[in-house]
Amino acid sequence: MLESTFMTLMKLIIPLYIAAFVIYAVRAFKGPSIPDVILAVDCMSFDIAAFMAILAVYFKSTFLVSAAIILALWAYLLDIYVAKYLANGEVGA
Amino acid sequence: MSEILFYLGAVMIIIGGICDLFGAIGLLRFPNFYVRLHAATVGTIGGAVVPLFGVALLALGADFLPHRYAIAGASFITGIIVLLAAPAGATALAYAAHKARLVEWKPKVDHLAEVRGDD
Repeated sequence: MLESTFMTLMKLIIPLYIAAFVIYAVRAFKGPSIPDVILAVDCMSFDIAAFMAILAVYFKSTFLVSAAIILALWAYLLDIYVAKYLANGEVGA
Repeated sequence: MSEILFYLGAVMIIIGGICDLFGAIGLLRFPNFYVRLHAATVGTIGGAVVPLFGVALLALGADFLPHRYAIAGASFITGIIVLLAAPAGATALAYAAHKARLVEWKPKVDHLAEVRGDD
């Protein structure tokens, strides 16, 4: 009962997320300046993390969620490194 | 009880998908980097944190799922990490873009400059 409801929910959810990824990718490819590209890649990484958590329920696998944690941390690391480089000219201490 | 958790998580996932699409459209259509930061916040907090908490509730309520407590706990932790990391990263990026003068800065009203009397 609940499983068939979840499969119906996935048919509704997957096109929304795929369309959002495509639009984020368009902004990431045509972004006029560096912060636009980094912001688009950042949003795309966080949303791929959320989508991997949904797919973990769909495929009944635990490993996808543990990869989503590392993906969220990696997106934060990318932000901080690029901001540090743009503000100071180097990624130092 | 488990049906209540399941349907609450499903509603949160649907809200997250809609917020994700709206944030993506705003990130594509808004004219300026500092305005695009608003759409990026809609896309990360509304589009990633809300469905992650929704997946946690849905996995707690789903009886057909093996290892459901592991999936619920890990997605809850991921939601808290994104909730802390996304505003900090966006703020650092805006600070760097303003300091390195990469983005054109044309404010319509700048009260601080009027008070100081200079740039």
